[in-house]
Amino acid sequence: MNEGPILAAEAITVRYGSTAACSDVTFSVARGSVYALLGRNGAGKSTLVRCLLGQQKPARGRGLLFGEDAWRRRARLMDRVGVVPEEPDAPPAMTPAQIADFCRRIYSTWNAGEFAKRLDRFGIPPRVPFGRLSKGQKGGVLLALALASAPDLLVLDDPTLGLDVVARRALYDELVGELADRGTTVLVTTHDLAGIEGIATRVAILKEGRLILDEEMETLKARFRRIRYGNQMTDTRTAYGTELDPFDAVRVKVRGWGVDAVVANYDDASFDRFQRTDGVVDAEASAMSLEEIFLSVAGEEKGAGS
Amino acid sequence: MRALRVDPAEAVPIWSQIEEGLRRLVASGALAAGQAVPSVRDLARDLSVNPATVAKAYQRLCEAGVLSVRRGEGTYVSDAPPAMGRGERSRILRQGAARYATLAATAGAGVEEASSELSTAFADLEGKRPPGGKS
Repeated sequence: MNEGPILAAEAITVRYGSTAACSDVTFSVARGSVYALLGRNGAGKSTLVRCLLGQQKPARGRGLLFGEDAWRRRARLMDRVGVVPEEPDAPPAMTPAQIADFCRRIYSTWNAGEFAKRLDRFGIPPRVPFGRLSKGQKGGVLLALALASAPDLLVLDDPTLGLDVVARRALYDELVGELADRGTTVLVTTHDLAGIEGIATRVAILKEGRLILDEEMETLKARFRRIRYGNQMTDTRTAYGTELDPFDAVRVKVRGWGVDAVVANYDDASFDRFQRTDGVVDAEASAMSLEEIFLSVAGEEKGAGS
Repeated sequence: MRALRVDPAEAVPIWSQIEEGLRRLVASGALAAGQAVPSVRDLARDLSVNPATVAKAYQRLCEAGVLSVRRGEGTYVSDAPPAMGRGERSRILRQGAARYATLAATAGAGVEEASSELSTAFADLEGKRPPGGKS
């Protein structure tokens, strides 16, 4: 078997007129990982996903699916990929059962029983036309279709968009079950950072078409902290404004009570030393959620780091 | 296992939170020797976390002798799980107390009010356990 990455972007650049939707984006998704591609609306996520699935030819670079050129070999490679697109789309007059019947002829690995069971778990009637289902139900049908072919790779493009709490929970339950049963590799773009935080193993952030972060979730969480402290003048203090240097501050705000900073290079030993710095009082370091990290890295606020 | 909670936003990795949580449940007797623990799949769904994360915690607990796998049956608390060391126990209690004291002080509560809330919380816990369920 091919031990290389399941999916890779090789220096992908896409232009719409004079605007670059993706600029020189390179990353890879390892087998068995859950790779979360994050970014604000218009950051280039969907364009990138289309290139990776061979639905769009990049101006430069290429997408690799299972080690092969995604654009040139798309017809053959898509057999092993399950996709849940951003807008759940299927012929509105066909029922989920009819759509499944159509799909089973395309996929060699189709499992009709699994499809029926999933619809049942999602509470979706198999004989109601697709066009009459709710947004959450449509998403559920597409997820059930994507999983029924037992894909090696599952691609979810903003799967929780417009879903209520119950439908979102059902989707994550199904995703976790699939990971447990088959160890499927997953690429997911999402705005539901709290929902994906416990599930993703690696995180990438796209900003204005560029990949500004690509890292294991665990190391990312380990190195980001919010540090708050009082900054005092003392008789013995000689240096000011350099106390945060060891931590690589990405964002610093001076407030009435002291300094409020986000740092990207935290470690306990440096923080112990920091607390003993002359003039630094009541220093406190708190963990940051994925959402807070995202905001400090990809947010638009003035004074943001590189 | 309602007593096991994880917070993905915490600085401590989720597998470590699960490992520590289960260790405590076993050490306190809330999970008795020989008792079954949920499957990796069920616990992962319950907590909405990646099953690989749960599997990692289970594997470490098996290596430490806290859990054991019975082939084809599932994962159980070991018949003689290692007891929590005295030092470890007092460290955990002290850490928890420091956190609670900070929280109480921030909310403007004095030591008496905080202690009374603690007693109530204890009473609630015991009320939920089966009578005589000390082990």
